Amino acid sequence: MKRPVQVVLLVLSGLGLLQVSLFTDLFLRYVKPGMRPLLIASGAVLLALGLAEARAVYRRTRHDEAHPPPHVAWLLFLPALSLLLYAPPALGAYTAAREAPRVVETQDARDEDFDPLPATSPLPITLGDFTRRVQQDRTQAIKGRTVEMTGFVTPAGEDGSWYLTRLLISCCAADVQSVKVRVYGVAAPKADTWVSVTGTWHPGGTLGTSSARVALDVRTVSEVERPSNSYMDALPLG
Amino acid sequence: MQETQDRAQDASAPTMRARPGWPRHWPLLLLGAAVLPGAALYLVGWSAELPAIQAWRTVALSVVVQAVPFMLLGTALSGAINAFVPASVFTRLLPKRPALAVPVAGAAGVVLPGCECASVPVANSLIGRGVTPAAAFAFLLSAPAVNPIVLTSTAIAFPGRPEMVLARLVASLLAACAMGWLWLWLGKEEWLRPAVRHTGHQPGHSRWAEFRSGFQHDFLHAGGFLVVGALAAATFNVAVPPSVVDAFADSAWLSVLFLAALAILLAVCSEADAFVAASLSGFSPVARLTFMVVGPMVDVKLIALQAGTFGRAFAVRFSAATTVVAIVCSVLIGGVLL
Repeated sequence: MKRPVQVVLLVLSGLGLLQVSLFTDLFLRYVKPGMRPLLIASGAVLLALGLAEARAVYRRTRHDEAHPPPHVAWLLFLPALSLLLYAPPALGAYTAAREAPRVVETQDARDEDFDPLPATSPLPITLGDFTRRVQQDRTQAIKGRTVEMTGFVTPAGEDGSWYLTRLLISCCAADVQSVKVRVYGVAAPKADTWVSVTGTWHPGGTLGTSSARVALDVRTVSEVERPSNSYMDALPLG
Repeated sequence: MQETQDRAQDASAPTMRARPGWPRHWPLLLLGAAVLPGAALYLVGWSAELPAIQAWRTVALSVVVQAVPFMLLGTALSGAINAFVPASVFTRLLPKRPALAVPVAGAAGVVLPGCECASVPVANSLIGRGVTPAAAFAFLLSAPAVNPIVLTSTAIAFPGRPEMVLARLVASLLAACAMGWLWLWLGKEEWLRPAVRHTGHQPGHSRWAEFRSGFQHDFLHAGGFLVVGALAAATFNVAVPPSVVDAFADSAWLSVLFLAALAILLAVCSEADAFVAASLSGFSPVARLTFMVVGPMVDVKLIALQAGTFGRAFAVRFSAATTVVAIVCSVLIGGVLL
């Protein structure tokens, strides 16, 4: 790899990282929000390395050319240009359909872990909290309550039901896990659409035990905007 | 006659004056290098809007994006060791006898925060500075598994089960030291590619220029292999159906071997693998411990990085031996502690 190519590669890699972390928040499609300062610093360092090398090339500093970087370094153009030109979208229904739903920790759930639910109706709740209320809360506080949840649509295949879904990551998109709530009563919107739904628990199994089905009889479905950080189990907005 | 000769000389003169080592139309080639892969990528992107391809690209890119800051840290550190730290420092810090240097270097892994991508270039520069390879390998294996960030995330992933953190620490240190001693016993120098770059500070050169060129070279080198590993990991990530995972959960022995294989193929970074292990709740604690001990020491990304840094002959033997040693250590320690 010739030195001018190294300059271009380093500068493009730096700009690519800065593009997704400093100028936009596209990096949230790939890693956690906490990585932002590290990514900005990395982009700046790569840009500085590239500019320093450009200066050295311009001044024709002697540089031992005996051991240039191997050809495999060309592959770094792939992520650099991908970040700059065509950042792939966040993971969605395709991945969620393949993932088994996340197993909620069951061992230590006691009654006092569940505070009484607020009286608002519909009650905004996360998919994870809804799952815990349905499968672990023996006081059955969720029974008969109208809840409101936001997530994206994952088709379930048979009987016209579908999954309201959230994907969660703990480090990067390679370790993604899903939380899903099965939805009954309304035809499935297009896969990957972000929706806010209201409804009540769909009876099945004994509420408050692991036999209870994590499912919802839906009354209303409204399309919402995709959140910029889609990899978290957040409450519905507003 | 004289005139034609002169003209011929004139015509050949510009090419003679072109600086050696650069192709003639390098600005054109440069433009091509910048535009063609992008155009190809764009076309591939447009023609393959398939969800599987998109998921594959997202996973591959996210592995690279996640690893780049830690890899920069590692290569900067390796460049700094090469340019600023005299070799005598290491001979003074480490015990003279290699067999004693191994556990000391393994325990020193605690100080390098980050995941496994950072440790390969650092280990390479340590060998270049005269540290015995056995000690450098113990450091290479233990650093990604026992640093405070990784142990903290393990404690968070397994709430109320401190024995999991302890088991991971002990099993990882044991496996790292065992590999160091194994190298002393059976290892051969000729498996290692000669360390060509790490010559240390040369009198008459600027230390900063040496640091910069070493840093840049190591980053481009390791970065290329990181991309290879990320592509492989993304392929397995998208291609392995989840139903396969459940099929192995029932048998005690198969589940240990299966999770070891899964750790190698998925190449989850060591700061996150505890959360993945915690989510594999169908498996026994020993199998999950194996996942967390093998993952930071051997995976497709690391094999690619090691093959690039130390040579293929080394990477194949070392990864195979490490896998076996790591599995044995986690079964032993897991059997006692879990």
